[in-house]
Amino acid sequence: MTSPVLAAAASEGSEGWWSGVAYPIIPHPGEIIIGLIAFSILYVVMAKFVVPRFEQTFEERREAIEGGMEKAERAQAEAERTLAEYKQQLAEAREEAGRIREEARAQGAQILEEMRQRAESEAQRVTESAQRQIASERQQAMLSLRGEVGGLATELASRIVGESLADEARQSRVVDRFLEDLERGERESMPLGGTGGGSHPVGDPDAGGGVLGFLKRGRS
Amino acid sequence: MEGSLNAVGYGLAAIGPAIAVGLIFAAYINGVARQPESRGLLQPIAILGFALAEALAILGFVLAFVLG
Amino acid sequence: MSPLALVASGSFEPPSAYDFWHPLVGDGPFALTRPMILIAFSVLVLAVFFLVTSNRRAMVPGKLQFAAEGVYGFVRNGVALDILGRREFRPYVPMLFTMFTLILVNNVFGIIPFIQYPTFSRIAFPIALTLIVFVVYHAIGIRRRGLGGYFKSLMPAGVPIILAPLVYLLELATYFITRPLTLALRLFANMFAGHMMLLVFALGGEYLLLHTDSVVLQAASIGSFLMFILMTFFELLVQALQAYVFVLLAAFYIAGSLEDAH
Repeated sequence: MTSPVLAAAASEGSEGWWSGVAYPIIPHPGEIIIGLIAFSILYVVMAKFVVPRFEQTFEERREAIEGGMEKAERAQAEAERTLAEYKQQLAEAREEAGRIREEARAQGAQILEEMRQRAESEAQRVTESAQRQIASERQQAMLSLRGEVGGLATELASRIVGESLADEARQSRVVDRFLEDLERGERESMPLGGTGGGSHPVGDPDAGGGVLGFLKRGRS
Repeated sequence: MEGSLNAVGYGLAAIGPAIAVGLIFAAYINGVARQPESRGLLQPIAILGFALAEALAILGFVLAFVLG
Repeated sequence: MSPLALVASGSFEPPSAYDFWHPLVGDGPFALTRPMILIAFSVLVLAVFFLVTSNRRAMVPGKLQFAAEGVYGFVRNGVALDILGRREFRPYVPMLFTMFTLILVNNVFGIIPFIQYPTFSRIAFPIALTLIVFVVYHAIGIRRRGLGGYFKSLMPAGVPIILAPLVYLLELATYFITRPLTLALRLFANMFAGHMMLLVFALGGEYLLLHTDSVVLQAASIGSFLMFILMTFFELLVQALQAYVFVLLAAFYIAGSLEDAH
């Protein structure tokens, strides 16, 4: 293989042991030197500038990532704390609400009770006053009735017996006796309703009885 | 066709390293297939073995030139 | 006329190591070559790109900054931190990061239109990087244990006395020959062979299309170009993988020196 190569090289006029044409594994001295210089220059550039910068970048990035992680962890802790706080607040609020509801219920019951009591007392008061009024009215009615009934009865009796009963004392005695008789008779057998019913303002038999009783009592 | 005997000789000499390289990568592939996580550990070793086996072929290549 | 016959007839020139020799100024061991310009350009591009993207330092990165931080994070966490351990990975991050980006960009130059030259297909550049790794991991070991202690520590523990000298010789060879050699050659060979493969498909397709009379052969150039496109994507994978493998192995070697005992 050497001879044609050498022949070709010879024809070009540039063969020699340095050229590596005959033996490609023979180095060219100038190229070794240039290779060493080239490597040295590039080495200086890399070692002085490029590698430290890359290392710094890597370091910064690593720190940034770790810092980011730390920040994220902090944020997570913060979030958890806030959540716990919120939950606690929620629980407190719920408790508060329950308490308030309970209170309101108790208060409502109390108010209701009070209202009822007040209404009852009011009702009682109204009833009492009504009863009192009724009683006073009845007394009034009785007073006026007694006068009238007495007058009427006297007139009636004077008309029937035909004698004047002008004398006050006698008149009164007669009336009392009359009434006593009436009462006794009524108590024994017959009600009074038939006799005095038409002219009497109170049509009720009981009331009539009551009236007579009251009249008698009021009289004595 | 002078010098072709050198090429034939180199071709014969390359058989051994060729088989060696094949075996090395077969073992590497096997290892990675069985344990994919061991890839990072096996790769430099496989390349180193490949380089050592290849050295023989390279010596043959050089000798093919030198012994012209 | 079959393609092989075409090649045999000598009218088709297959790609060779000559395609990687591009002197621009001068001629000789210290000539200015095209890969020198390319690696200088890549240093400029990388320095500007990372200075700009690292200077912004936004908390929420933009697209460019995200990409730059992704690459940095990949080297820092995926390589340095994983292999060197949390305690001691920091001083080696700039070195690994510089190597990874430098290799990645120069490899990808191989498939960028109009550049289309992987710088590390010239073995001088992988050797330069390997020299640095070599010096660094031995220097760490010697500083940790002293010169004698370091050479003593190369002996693996628990080896029978009879085998000890042999094992020790093998270990010495591993540390001082095999490791740097394979580290440099792997990157070089992958780039060199990959670019050669692309050249084969591109030049072959061009030859079939333009320099043959047969319509069938001209149609066959379509297949060649398709393969070229397919292989371009495959190359992208290989280029990224080799950048990763280089820093991974460098980190392994450094980690071996950092360990307290073997």
